[in-house]
Amino acid sequence: MLIRRLARWLDSRLGAARFARTALNKVFPDHWSFMIGEIALYCLVILILTGVYLTFFFVPDSREVVYHGSYAPLRGAHMSAAYQSTLRVSFDVRAGLVMRQIHHWAALIFIGSIIVHMVRIFFTGAFRRPRELNWAVGVTLLLLALANGFTGYSLPDDQLSGTGLRIAYSVLESVPFLGPWMAFLVFGGEFPSDDIISRLFTIHVLIVPALIVGLLSVHLGLLVRQKHTQFRGRGRTERNVVGSKLWPTFTAKTLGLFFFVFAVCAALGGLAQINPVWLYGPFKAQAVSSGSQPDWYIGWLEGALRLMPPWELRVAGFEIPNPFFPGVLLPGVTFAVIYAWPWIEQRFTKDRAEHHLLDRPRDRPVRTGLGVAVLTFYVVLFVAGGDDVIASHFNLSVNDVVYVFRGLVFVLPAVAYYVTYRLCKELSARARLPADELALLARTPEGGYVEVEPGVEEPGVDEPGVDEEDEELSPSS
Amino acid sequence: MLARRLVVAVVVVAPAVLLLAATAFAGPGKVRQAEQPSAEQVERGRQLYLTSCSSCHGAEGEGTSIAPSLIGVGAAAADFQLTTGRMPLTDPNAQAVRKPPAFDRNQIDDIVAYVASLGSGPPIPEVNPDAGSLSEGANLFLNNCAACHSAAGVGGALSYGNDAPDLHHATAEQIAEAIRTGPGQMPVFGPDTFSDHQVNSIVRYVRYLHEPDDPGGFSLGRIGPITEGMVALLIGIPVLLFVCRRIEEAHERASRGGSEST
Amino acid sequence: MSVSAEQRATRHIAVALGLTTASALGLAVLYALGGQSQLEGILLALALGGLGYAFVVAARRLLPQGPFTEDREPLASSEADLEGFGSDFDRLYQDAEGEEGSGQALARRRFLLRMFGAAVGAMGLAALFPIASLGPRPGDALFETKWRKGSRVVDEQGKPVKAGDLKVGGVLTVFPEGWVGAADSQTLLIRATDHAITTRPGREDWSPRGYVAYSKICTHAGCPVGLYQHSIQRLLCPCHQSTFEVLTGATPVFGPATRALPQLPLMVDENGDLRAQHDFDQPVGPGFWNRER
Repeated sequence: MLIRRLARWLDSRLGAARFARTALNKVFPDHWSFMIGEIALYCLVILILTGVYLTFFFVPDSREVVYHGSYAPLRGAHMSAAYQSTLRVSFDVRAGLVMRQIHHWAALIFIGSIIVHMVRIFFTGAFRRPRELNWAVGVTLLLLALANGFTGYSLPDDQLSGTGLRIAYSVLESVPFLGPWMAFLVFGGEFPSDDIISRLFTIHVLIVPALIVGLLSVHLGLLVRQKHTQFRGRGRTERNVVGSKLWPTFTAKTLGLFFFVFAVCAALGGLAQINPVWLYGPFKAQAVSSGSQPDWYIGWLEGALRLMPPWELRVAGFEIPNPFFPGVLLPGVTFAVIYAWPWIEQRFTKDRAEHHLLDRPRDRPVRTGLGVAVLTFYVVLFVAGGDDVIASHFNLSVNDVVYVFRGLVFVLPAVAYYVTYRLCKELSARARLPADELALLARTPEGGYVEVEPGVEEPGVDEPGVDEEDEELSPSS
Repeated sequence: MLARRLVVAVVVVAPAVLLLAATAFAGPGKVRQAEQPSAEQVERGRQLYLTSCSSCHGAEGEGTSIAPSLIGVGAAAADFQLTTGRMPLTDPNAQAVRKPPAFDRNQIDDIVAYVASLGSGPPIPEVNPDAGSLSEGANLFLNNCAACHSAAGVGGALSYGNDAPDLHHATAEQIAEAIRTGPGQMPVFGPDTFSDHQVNSIVRYVRYLHEPDDPGGFSLGRIGPITEGMVALLIGIPVLLFVCRRIEEAHERASRGGSEST
Repeated sequence: MSVSAEQRATRHIAVALGLTTASALGLAVLYALGGQSQLEGILLALALGGLGYAFVVAARRLLPQGPFTEDREPLASSEADLEGFGSDFDRLYQDAEGEEGSGQALARRRFLLRMFGAAVGAMGLAALFPIASLGPRPGDALFETKWRKGSRVVDEQGKPVKAGDLKVGGVLTVFPEGWVGAADSQTLLIRATDHAITTRPGREDWSPRGYVAYSKICTHAGCPVGLYQHSIQRLLCPCHQSTFEVLTGATPVFGPATRALPQLPLMVDENGDLRAQHDFDQPVGPGFWNRER
């Protein structure tokens, strides 16, 4: 019928049938945790759709205007054109507010799902050879997502995000030797400068999305080329992939997921108010609100800035000011280690073999323990970022809260490592034998037992596990 | 005889009627205390003061080591502290917080009259929020009050266990009194800092904050990115992870029966 | 899959798609009627959720489940292919006739490649220079504000502040006259007491009538230090909880700030207006590399 004729028409011009056949037959493994990356992907699609809509209304200009729109408390107020256009899309454009809110909720979930996805990759060892490159691409995508989130919520030029920009300016300024010059370069002068909003717009709408889309294509391309990893199980080896075919089942599943992701973002966008910039007011350099917070994914940096004791380096009349250490050094070291992790692990385990079967976290107590400890460290920083809100809500002294968190940030990760390590050892110590020592038995109708070849269907037989001492794993055959 | 009684009755009743009429015509924004308190009222207040306040503030309001002098604090300060229930304070070391007032309206008026008689201080302000400008109020609030009370008026932490309170329960009078007298850690904003009209505007905006438009849906407490992040991480992501599980689990069950090669 | 299970699945999918259709129509009607954010979100969620449900049920009940197996080809290419790539690439080193280059030819090739590298490197470096147009050089900008000798102190509406304006315990954000809103000049004016005080040695005449003025820009990360706790005479910055002592020259006593807030020396003129004696005696705001130049 029509589709066949169309296919022939295209094929006679492109010769694409062969390629398309391979594509349609691609097998994708079925575990639910493999869909987490897709959540992030679909959040990106939603961000682009709603984002493009918003660009038709947003005015990236710091020029001062007087507000005459429908939000009464700000009528007559002086504000930037950027802030005014944000109020306009929120109050005076039909469906504008729900688009803006879907966009912001999708951003929060986007970064959350990237991190959950990255954590899954880490704990199952999916970053091992041959996927070290894809790990690096993925970490870069996370950095770009963080950058776009921060630039995005700074665009409306409201009091809250402007406070965040001031802090970012100071952190940039704190870089030794180059700091003030870099800050002046990025912002176009002394804070706040008239150029920053329009520059953030170019970064947020053009540069970073282009980089994300490009790197995402590489990320997915590598995935297609190298094929997806899979958990151990019956019939699954290092030499195959078992699961659904791309067409039609996987396509249907993943489209279903897309619509559900969109539905969740839409529900939140309509029902849960987010970033009510009209309450914060237009940005003024001399004003600030108590309880000022960045979006959640910047919280760990905020916590680091708050917990840092008043230390700075002064040498020969030059100084490395305090914000440099929690604001530049900490994230620098963090991401350097994250990038390098596949090679760090290879160094210690001496395992340079290809791996397409995933680890269960319990079988890798050191890696799992370290991962949980590092996550705990950043979660403590993240919670510490809200120390003033914690203090006022639980009637505590914020000074005491700071002291307590300064201790917790070191103690909790150590405890977390120990507990996780022991838990892993405990869980994986249950009856595990090397695969070649296992015998599969079947009961004959006469009542006796007979050995059968592994791989034949036998209900109720558990997957064979692998017993390892710490990290030593012989290269797979 | 009757005529004289009639005259006495008129002379006694008429002022009362006129007074009643005067209070009835006093608009909703005008405040009670326009007349000078009578000596009886001051004495009633003194008795209440001696019972409930003198153990900390001294027998004649001169203050002690655990509480400041009340001489010259004025009616506004006393009225604020008593109507918000901050005073009487059981623990002099803790921050005074809003709680149900210990006295009724008349008793408060009496104590206020007594405290005001100790020395001249800011009187109870005449507040008329509707005469203020909402947008001027927003501007003044965001530039002068939000730093402690937060932009949405939900309050915020101060150092050493203190906090700037949530403003959602404050009445118009209490807001104006706090502005003029600077209770607790709060600074003082006198008539040469904010005019009466500016105070009216601020009060009008704070009252707006009691129930602001929330066109975006549930306000999540108007705390900001913390509650927004919690919703994304504790509702959004888990719901989607659950969806992923549901998508795959039946599939896994269905696919147990052998495999087909490509 | 049994027929009745298929029937059931088909029914479910039909209901879901019906929900989607109804919700989508509802959205159109809602928009035409003026729109409402909560209803827009709910209807959109229902429409999308219906589609999502339809696809997932189809995937689980109607479409082939498998599981299917695909073999992994070894990722690395064959030796022959790698060799072939190598020799194809080495065509770079062959001469015009396709012959293997002599030692001299190779040396010439290497020389040209090095020249090319230098040229590209220089071009790349030159291309970076227009980036410098993005921002002026800091110069003296970070070392001075708009306060000058005799600048009149004005509030955010531009009204001059007189010595009688603030009550003891009062606070106000002020600017030099003519520069209201200048970010680097924002100053916190505090009436700490009713008599002149000395916050630090050498500042005996900086605080007439108990007025102290500090730069409002936190020396930690630049947020406005807006919280004046007057009964304990402390300034608190809401961003990272740096705390400063008002009576001792804004000395930091808690939090990550390492330096006191610079103090603005005040004086009262013949009209009773507050004025600055001169600009701050050090750069305001957070630290940077050469702040102590």
